[in-house]
Amino acid sequence: MTKLILSTGNIVSGGPSIIRKPGAFRSNLELTNSLRSNFLAAQEDAAAELHANGATNGNGNSSGNSESVDLDAETGTTGRVPTAAWTGRDQNGALYVPRIHWDHDHHHGLQEERAQYDITAKLFFLPGAPVSERSRYAREALEHVLQELRVPEVDLLIVSFPGMSFEGDCEWEADRRNAVQGNDEDEIATWPAIEELHRLGLAKRLGLAEFGSEKLARFLSKAQVRPTVNQINLKNCCNVPPPLAQLAKEQSIELLVHSDCTDILPKGTLRELLGPGPRGAGILADPETGAGGLQGDLTPLWVVKYTAVVRDRGVIENKGYFAGAELADG
Amino acid sequence: MGLLALGTALDWPEAKKQAHLVRSWGIKQLLEIWNKAKGKERDAMLWGDEVEYLVVTYSKDDPKVLLSLRQADILKALENDTALSKAGCAPPLPDGSNSHTSQPPPVFHPEFGRFMLEATPGKPWGIEFKELLEVEPNMRLRRCIAKAHMLSNEYPITLTTFPRLGSPGVFTDPYYPVSGPKLRSQFVPDEIANPHIRFPTLAANIRSRRGRKVQVNVPVFKDEKTPWPWKDPTVNYDLHNWPEDDDVRNGAAPENFIHMDAMAFGMGSCCLQITFQAKNLTEGRQMYDQLSPLGPILLALTAATPVYKGFLADTDVRWNQISKAVDDRTPEELGEKPLVNDRWRIPKSRYASNSTYISEDPRLRPEYLDPDLVIDESIKQQLLDGGMDDRLATHFAHLFIRDPIVIFSEDLKELDLSKTDHFENIQSTNWQHMRFKPPPADNSIGWRVEFRPMEIQITDFENAAFAVFIVLITRVILSFDLNFYIPIKKVDENMETAHARDAVLTRKFYFRRNLFPTARPSRSGSSTPVASRPPTPTGPVEDEYRLMSVNEIINGTAYAKATSSSPPSSSSSSSSSPPLKRRKTSSSEVEDNEEEDEEFPGLIPLVESYLDSVNVDVATRCQLATYLDLIRKRASGELWTAARWIRHFVARHPEYKRDSVVGEGITRDLVAAVVRIGECEVNGRGFRGVCGAGEGEDGEEGVEGVERLLGGFR
Repeated sequence: MTKLILSTGNIVSGGPSIIRKPGAFRSNLELTNSLRSNFLAAQEDAAAELHANGATNGNGNSSGNSESVDLDAETGTTGRVPTAAWTGRDQNGALYVPRIHWDHDHHHGLQEERAQYDITAKLFFLPGAPVSERSRYAREALEHVLQELRVPEVDLLIVSFPGMSFEGDCEWEADRRNAVQGNDEDEIATWPAIEELHRLGLAKRLGLAEFGSEKLARFLSKAQVRPTVNQINLKNCCNVPPPLAQLAKEQSIELLVHSDCTDILPKGTLRELLGPGPRGAGILADPETGAGGLQGDLTPLWVVKYTAVVRDRGVIENKGYFAGAELADG
Repeated sequence: MGLLALGTALDWPEAKKQAHLVRSWGIKQLLEIWNKAKGKERDAMLWGDEVEYLVVTYSKDDPKVLLSLRQADILKALENDTALSKAGCAPPLPDGSNSHTSQPPPVFHPEFGRFMLEATPGKPWGIEFKELLEVEPNMRLRRCIAKAHMLSNEYPITLTTFPRLGSPGVFTDPYYPVSGPKLRSQFVPDEIANPHIRFPTLAANIRSRRGRKVQVNVPVFKDEKTPWPWKDPTVNYDLHNWPEDDDVRNGAAPENFIHMDAMAFGMGSCCLQITFQAKNLTEGRQMYDQLSPLGPILLALTAATPVYKGFLADTDVRWNQISKAVDDRTPEELGEKPLVNDRWRIPKSRYASNSTYISEDPRLRPEYLDPDLVIDESIKQQLLDGGMDDRLATHFAHLFIRDPIVIFSEDLKELDLSKTDHFENIQSTNWQHMRFKPPPADNSIGWRVEFRPMEIQITDFENAAFAVFIVLITRVILSFDLNFYIPIKKVDENMETAHARDAVLTRKFYFRRNLFPTARPSRSGSSTPVASRPPTPTGPVEDEYRLMSVNEIINGTAYAKATSSSPPSSSSSSSSSPPLKRRKTSSSEVEDNEEEDEEFPGLIPLVESYLDSVNVDVATRCQLATYLDLIRKRASGELWTAARWIRHFVARHPEYKRDSVVGEGITRDLVAAVVRIGECEVNGRGFRGVCGAGEGEDGEEGVEGVERLLGGFR
């Protein structure tokens, strides 16, 4: 069993991957594009470094297989930078894709004092991952965010459960459909772990995503630490279903807008991102030839999106994603 | 319009002698602020808008509309009413709530034109998204309060210009004869200007410095029955009151141009200006540079000025007319005579598009700077010696090539370094499309940047939309670290292009292809720290930009392709060779047109991406979406600019004879329509209902074409 941690780094000035494409509403392109471009950047850096080492030393002295790599080739699997050159492992054996240098000050943390920021983390529990482990996932995801931003806590932690959406012709229909989506039991069972993060002071406020009026009412009756935010998705229509608007008002729950999709990292997408194909990172072995790389069944477990906004200036200083996955040994 | 201190204003010959002293004291004051404020940090994002109004007289039964010259009385009434009673002036928001309780009362200011009024919010706006929604109701409140302090037949309207300003006959209330000693205009009386000594002196000294009257010539629109060549029939060649009356006999009024001869024709225009406070000097300079290339685009998009002096013009915006109306350059400076007495040739009026970029951003390539920039080297040296960096010293040494126009003798007794009056004297009479504003002498507020090109819109809905849009754009620029740099000469060209009739739909503008950093700063995977910015790119500058329509710039390439039914003619473009293609897409259907295969993301999608990344509540996001919709539709042509609507209104009017003449009857009905739209808005009745064509519930006809201007909004 190998744990994988994927990261995007700060994507806010990272170029086009942050731009919403027409027709790509509610897509996960921001996540997949920015993962892909972060992998690419890491590979390029590693290649440049290997190249530099190779040029000065004659042959690579740190990595045994570097001489077999044709660094000048731009395409083709032979041109790949070896995985070990741009990924890293922590003391527990988790594989970081790409490697994160936590000790590099200029890559992590925020420019100003903590109080200047409004920091939001949104945690996506993914459909294929075991519900029983969500407590661990939540902790792990949030810790990565805190470490990345070098802050003791986030202001708002929003939780997104699988299988929920807020779609349909506005008004009543979306709300009605929503009532039977997701899994009430699992969601309620997960919440204490989230509440614990709040009690530990790691998240000042808690929030939900995609809860319609009925689900929200049921949820509130069971929650000890109440969510103060419910993120909903509004396509082109601006009418919040009246029952939801009313409930939110009565319960002082802020209704925020988002445009994320709930199934943000499907298994196939992850496999493609890490796979041997032309748009993949070449970490996974080629299933047909079995050549090079890791083998086994890959399961995405969680994704966390984080945003740090300078409060009184409305400037997004840092935004990025971490994703956790597990590779069952094949 | 700057400070209105009272005093003894010097005539030009006297003022000219003191120009050097004022400049030198101004520079000392600037250095004083510079040293005090250069290290200011962490100022909050605050911003303000300025809305300017024309005051007109109108009543249902009166066949004439006039400009009211009661500015002073109206301002006095507003001043005396310290509470600015909001009774009846607090229309609810579209969602039924009412949020203007937290704001102090708005502030009203005089303007150059005695028929004008300016209003600003009582305190600056912040960046809380909910606060952005207060802008529109606050603008309506301002309009309503202004109206409440006027006579029942007076209205504050937000047309950029009064269509018949300077036409023969009566166009002001009260009437004054033309050809006064200050303006010496054969079209407008001296009383058209604010009587405060500053304003007539400004006009008189500009004229005097120039050695003749200003010449505001705007091409006339050639309609089916417009005589051609066209000679402005209102020009009087037989006037002999002042030496300047010779101007028209010496060719000041060329064929096919509407001829105007006074500052009032320019400075009597209303615009929508937005000022931002930056967090520090560096951010202020970045904002100044990055917003600059957007100026011409927003000018074209807000076009609202198709009529001058009773004739349809062949241009849609006010900009060049103001530029000419305050052009104080001498024949030597203009290059008409050899340089003998003056120090240099000056390519632009004091009112013109920017000539400098001021940031120390490594992305600013020397090739972007104006190669013809005129600066005062000795002033630059003084600033450098005072500790200012080269780039900013160059900027101010450029502004300071101008003479101060209005000098009060009382201010020349001694240099007061606790004030900025001499600095401001030069700074605030450089009317460029951006203005970089140092903190005031007491250092109480931060470094600011003013965005000045936009034309005022007829409704506060539109004005709020454009104001909020620009605010959001600044947040997008800072968040995504966007790069809009193009050579400043191309910004100048774009400014000219923006004047064309319907430039928003028919013209293309130079714009930067790639707004993003060329290479992503490495975040991981490298054990050697990398520079936080990629090295300055060194490819040819010409490859960095291309021609784009406003639709493409605002909405992005994909949207523009999908919405443009008739491809805009490229008449304005390309004698230059087509830019090299940068990177071929893998698309199988690469188009023939080399410029077309590049995706430009569009400013609105960028704003949406920004909004997607911050926490915004549902109601706020929906309001903001309405504003973005308006701008999207104006850019795509689905909705009309005010200029196009006015042209349509004139063309459909029964009194219009297809001869470019906008007569009194047409003007009256146009103003009536604008008043009506304003009333619909202020009463929260919506634009579709009572204002929509043919739907008048009180039996009146709707306003012609209003649905093309404002669509289904509200």
